[in-house]
Amino acid sequence: MSCLPRNPPACVTFRTSLQCDLSEVTPTRLELREFLQEQGVGQEEISACELALAEACNNAVQNATDEARNNVIEVLAICTPSKVELHVSDHTPGFEWADKVPLPAIEAEHGRGLFFIQSCMDTANYFRGPDENRLVMGKLRAPTGASPLPADGDDLRVADLRSRLAESQQALTEMARELCFRSETLAAICRCSADLGRSNDLKGFAQRLLDDLLHIAAAEWFVVRTINPANQLSVFVASIDHASFADVPFGPEARGIISLEAQSAASCEDVEFGPERPLAPEDPLLAHFADACGFIHPIRMDQTLIGTMAIGRSATDSGFSIRQREVIRTFADFLAIQVLNARLQEQQLSNRLVSHELEIARGIQRSLLPKTLPQLRGFGLAASCETARQVGGDFYDLLQISPTSVLLVIADVMGKGVPAALFAALLRSAVRANPEWSSSPAEMLTRINHLLFQDLSRVNMFITAQIVLLDLERRRAVVGGAGHCPLLFATAGSKHINAVASQGMPLGIVRKASFEETVIVLEPGSRLLLYTDGVTESRNAAGEPFGQERLESWLAASWKSANSAEALKTTLMATLNKFESNSPLSDDRTFLIAADEHQNATQALKIK
Amino acid sequence: MKINDSGDILTISNIKELAAGNSDMFRDEVRAAVPSGVKAIEIDLSDTDFVDSCGLGALISLYKFVNSRHGPVPVRLINPTPSIQQIFELTRLHRIFEIVKSE
Repeated sequence: MSCLPRNPPACVTFRTSLQCDLSEVTPTRLELREFLQEQGVGQEEISACELALAEACNNAVQNATDEARNNVIEVLAICTPSKVELHVSDHTPGFEWADKVPLPAIEAEHGRGLFFIQSCMDTANYFRGPDENRLVMGKLRAPTGASPLPADGDDLRVADLRSRLAESQQALTEMARELCFRSETLAAICRCSADLGRSNDLKGFAQRLLDDLLHIAAAEWFVVRTINPANQLSVFVASIDHASFADVPFGPEARGIISLEAQSAASCEDVEFGPERPLAPEDPLLAHFADACGFIHPIRMDQTLIGTMAIGRSATDSGFSIRQREVIRTFADFLAIQVLNARLQEQQLSNRLVSHELEIARGIQRSLLPKTLPQLRGFGLAASCETARQVGGDFYDLLQISPTSVLLVIADVMGKGVPAALFAALLRSAVRANPEWSSSPAEMLTRINHLLFQDLSRVNMFITAQIVLLDLERRRAVVGGAGHCPLLFATAGSKHINAVASQGMPLGIVRKASFEETVIVLEPGSRLLLYTDGVTESRNAAGEPFGQERLESWLAASWKSANSAEALKTTLMATLNKFESNSPLSDDRTFLIAADEHQNATQALKIK
Repeated sequence: MKINDSGDILTISNIKELAAGNSDMFRDEVRAAVPSGVKAIEIDLSDTDFVDSCGLGALISLYKFVNSRHGPVPVRLINPTPSIQQIFELTRLHRIFEIVKSE
């Protein structure tokens, strides 16, 4: 460059700025006029430049966003021998720049500004940026002898080269600045994404991401809260120790609570704080961040609100620039995506766990049921246990006490999944381990309640159960119930169905419970039905439950048609399935049938 | 800016510029001065060295105002500079405003 000959400056620039006020446009325009006159620009070009500048400035003033009203509008004029270039910055939301703005209707009072700029300038380009937008307009200078620049061909070429060099250098600087900023943001995000891929530590990821953000956005602190199951904002990560941060309610119940974070979450909008809008004394942020300025940004993904991010710096600094805000919002959006992703993954995992757990529970439940039924002479036994997709705690057992006596146990553990299956297993063990208690079902229930009470009450579960001792030697059944469905029985002699209700409380409700016993005389042709509420709760297409009344009718009607326990079981299942129109079970459905088949044998003998 | 009301004709002169910074004031002051029964409005642009789109907007607004209240009233632009006359021609507004060049 040092070898270039000295000559009048080939590229002269003029910089000025104006406040966001229409009255400042004319003085700025006159400054430009003076500058262009000094450079020997022709009158026609000056008029064009003045008009274009005025229109650009008018736009910048009239459309500035409220938050940018304090920013100045920068004007740059570059005068080269061949052209005049005007740059005008604006802090507007940015307007749509058409390649060719049509002439507005003749009676229109507005809308000629852009038309003028395009009409009187040779080039016009609008650059939208994150921080500010920039209108760059060029006006070619008419080649006149009045140019103050030397007319010498070589000098002109050098001057032209210089001016072009200066222009491209400036463009390069701008681009480099932009690129640096963008790439820093991108690099931070990429770095954190890679981290996230390596571990499932969302908090650690968020912490590192936002530490980077502090650096990039020149912020001093952040507090990210997420919505917890109680619908309160609780701290997720923060740049300081946040052990003392209490949860903040938001939404309708937050009325009267002065927390800007809750406000931002409730309104889903950015909320500012700073010297002009100080934090209220009650605001949880104030204790840690007195004399701060910044804003709270709601973190959300589409319509899903995830939480809030408060970010700030010392109030002695100026507020965040548009560019910094843009970066902060970008990070918040990115965090929102990651939080949602992590939640979805967690949900999938827990769904897998739940289905795995249900599988285990079903396995336990199946293994508890007796593989074979005890045999009694002249008395048939049948059992059915259908499980719903959601495993409940239905359970039955048949225990041979002597050649002439059997203990029937039916129970429903209130609860689902593995815990319910485990209690069913406990109940089974308690019964099987103590056959000597079987002489009195009521006594047995009392003892079992005593055994299981502590475990059941700890997990707020209970068991309804019915224990029946079928004693053929004494031709009687002793019934003890703990809050269970009534036992139904029919005999050949009685026309109607008898129901033996369980007077006692379910197991696990009170520690010292006592239970009553009912003794049924087993007349010839007796049928006993023990069931869980899944039977009476079976519903038809209209949503009506099957109910005890229908069950009693069925037993009365089938007394004659089905003369064995197995036949009764088959017709009851068919009746229930027909009633439900084969829709899937919503609850477990279990029943036990004991039927005096002695008469059949007698009849068969008679026929022979 | 000077406003002179001769009864039939309202004359506005001494206008330095018609731009965003003063166009609202120009429109409001002239509107207020329009006498009933006005026959014509003459806007002397000989001292005016700058007109922008807001200035044009104010002139159009004024034109619509007088013609809606006072019947057909011509609005004349007196002695605009060549570059300002160009602006009117560029926007075809010379079709509604009468451009008058004295001498």
